[in-house]
Amino acid sequence: MGDILGLVAKRLGMGLIILLVISIIIFFMVELLPGDIAQAVLGQGATPENLAALRKEMGLDQPAVLRYLHWLSGAVTLDFGNSIVTGASVAQTIGERFANTLFLAAYAAAIAVPISIVLGVLVALLRNSIFDRVANVATLTSISSPEFFLGYILILYLAVKTGMFPAIASLSNDMSFGDLLYRTFLPALTLVLVVTAHMMRMTRAAIINLLASPYIEMARLKGTPPWKVIVKHALPNAWAPIINVVALNLAYLITGVVLVEVVFVYPGIGQALVDAVSKRDFPVVQACCLIFAATFILLNLAADVGSILTNPRLRHPK
Amino acid sequence: MSAFVIIYYTLLLGASCLAAYFNKRSAFLLLFSLTLVSFILGIIGGVSALRIVAILAGLLGLSAMVSYAFREFLIAIASHNLAKELRTAPLTAAFGMFVIFTVAIAGIFAPLIAPYGEAQVITSAFAPADANMLLGADQLGRDVFSRLVFGARNTVALALAGTVMAFLLGALAGLLAATTGGWFDQALARTSDVIMSIPSLIFALLMLSIFGGDLANDTTSFWLLTGFAGVVGLLMVTAIFENSIVGWAVGLAVLVGVSTAFSGFMLIIFNPSEIILILVVAVIYSPRVFRLTRAVAGNVVVMDYIEAAKLRGEKTWYLIRREILPNSTAPLVAEFGLEFCFVFLLIAGLSFLGLGIQPPTADWGSMVRENATLISFGDITPLIPAAAIALLTVAVNFVVDWMLYRSSGLKV
Repeated sequence: MGDILGLVAKRLGMGLIILLVISIIIFFMVELLPGDIAQAVLGQGATPENLAALRKEMGLDQPAVLRYLHWLSGAVTLDFGNSIVTGASVAQTIGERFANTLFLAAYAAAIAVPISIVLGVLVALLRNSIFDRVANVATLTSISSPEFFLGYILILYLAVKTGMFPAIASLSNDMSFGDLLYRTFLPALTLVLVVTAHMMRMTRAAIINLLASPYIEMARLKGTPPWKVIVKHALPNAWAPIINVVALNLAYLITGVVLVEVVFVYPGIGQALVDAVSKRDFPVVQACCLIFAATFILLNLAADVGSILTNPRLRHPK
Repeated sequence: MSAFVIIYYTLLLGASCLAAYFNKRSAFLLLFSLTLVSFILGIIGGVSALRIVAILAGLLGLSAMVSYAFREFLIAIASHNLAKELRTAPLTAAFGMFVIFTVAIAGIFAPLIAPYGEAQVITSAFAPADANMLLGADQLGRDVFSRLVFGARNTVALALAGTVMAFLLGALAGLLAATTGGWFDQALARTSDVIMSIPSLIFALLMLSIFGGDLANDTTSFWLLTGFAGVVGLLMVTAIFENSIVGWAVGLAVLVGVSTAFSGFMLIIFNPSEIILILVVAVIYSPRVFRLTRAVAGNVVVMDYIEAAKLRGEKTWYLIRREILPNSTAPLVAEFGLEFCFVFLLIAGLSFLGLGIQPPTADWGSMVRENATLISFGDITPLIPAAAIALLTVAVNFVVDWMLYRSSGLKV
């Protein structure tokens, strides 16, 4: 077991270092601006007094490294400073939206993960048949479509023409859980369509890889019934690639959510990010980017750790 | 039961019986499962659902015929060797080539094909389609069809430029890293790891928030572009001249001239905000290209013929150009196609968010955004440019799929 713990600890350490480097990139990219943030916010016509006041308020009179450390220590305690545009606390503005985004992603994942794994395994078992080829074309098409294309098609047919679901996912606090699921169904479905295609293809590739290995052939040759080959021989080794596929696609979900949120006017963090970028509200942009990057890295890390933990060769060392 | 439903099922069942009779197993399975699915769809959605299925099947059949004809056409005009390879192309790949060909024609001859200019206001906002306007007018009264044709030129040109730049940087760095190894290799690999661990859309938004606004002017974009060209050139000079000091001096002088000229040339074609977009895309996607090139070249570098060439005293540049590149073309070409898809989708997404290609330039992503309100009236206008994006991406993916299959088949 010591080996595994060592490997996991090493991966976690690597993840932390990458996160730190990314926080440095996110912070110092803004420093690249000629002049400084204050200049960028107030524009060319700013008076020197205004500039000085804003600089003082934002702590721009201190050296960049100090400001970075201050920002980082704030970020660890979820305090990202105040928005330049509205003056409100960034953490408060984003906090609730982040929860909404997580809800949407979790909703989509709950539908997509079981479907795509079952379908992926099925397609792998039926490989090179006509169904496999149809599935290949269908998933390629779905992957290649931009999220807004799928989103608008769903809006047109399921919301406008038939009126089965609301086109705009507006949320309020006093909604029941069922109502919430109903109102966010279309954005979730859009995400499901994109992610299922990705996951199916990856699951199919992983399973086919596995079924080609000699020990599966051996099991077949000695006359093991097909279901037993899958359950006893293939599955224990398949967990690692499947966990990998799921975690990678969850990471994809977290970022794919940006476009979907804009299409459905969903009050999530992706829309906050897009708004902040067009208003050049740097504290919000930095905070959102850091949150997205952290989630992305965490999920990738989970994929790595999961595949280490489920690897039978590592769990039962010789 | 309307006549349509009766004809629908008769045709389906008849076709499946024919397929079964002639022992076309896969065709039979497909047709018969479609019949079974139609039963369920018909019960749930009624006749209109069946109509949609019929229309989709018709479209599918039409595109299959078009792709078949196009493949035969290509085989007829191609040289002997090329024709032999084209014969192995599945219909999906032929369809992909047909779409790419169409978009290329539309983009190159856009001013001749489009009946109106891309920013020309010809009628009232959201006017419906008539004899003059095939697809109606957009939110300012511009012809949607003309903008679609010009969009083929603008969007694709931008995505192509971004992919080429990402490829120049990534492939060159990857080849050099695989050939030289050591700290250079490690440093580049770690840098690309960090960049790749930021989600691409998020990183693009971060960079655009900084280089957007006032900074998207001629001077900034010129210097950024020159800097980028300088980095690529520096890699090239390192590869070509290695340790010769005179060579370096000459190389650097040429480099300064070439990168300035290149930046000037790019500024004539694209406007500053588009150049920023191209650079952002290049920075985000070059690590992916780098990683693949490094892996592919890494497999080639360990071969005996490379060892032999090294013992002959060949220089790095010769190794890259004559030994490594020819042996890693197939995966690199496929990667170019894949990267193009990613870049194209990213640019379309950014334009859709209003942060990519700026109006009044016609572009597929922003056309979706501009006309999005129409969707709530049941009008499909905003879906057309979105479908164009999807169609081109699918087409490239189909061709790449075929090439990947072929290159993996050749290896075995």
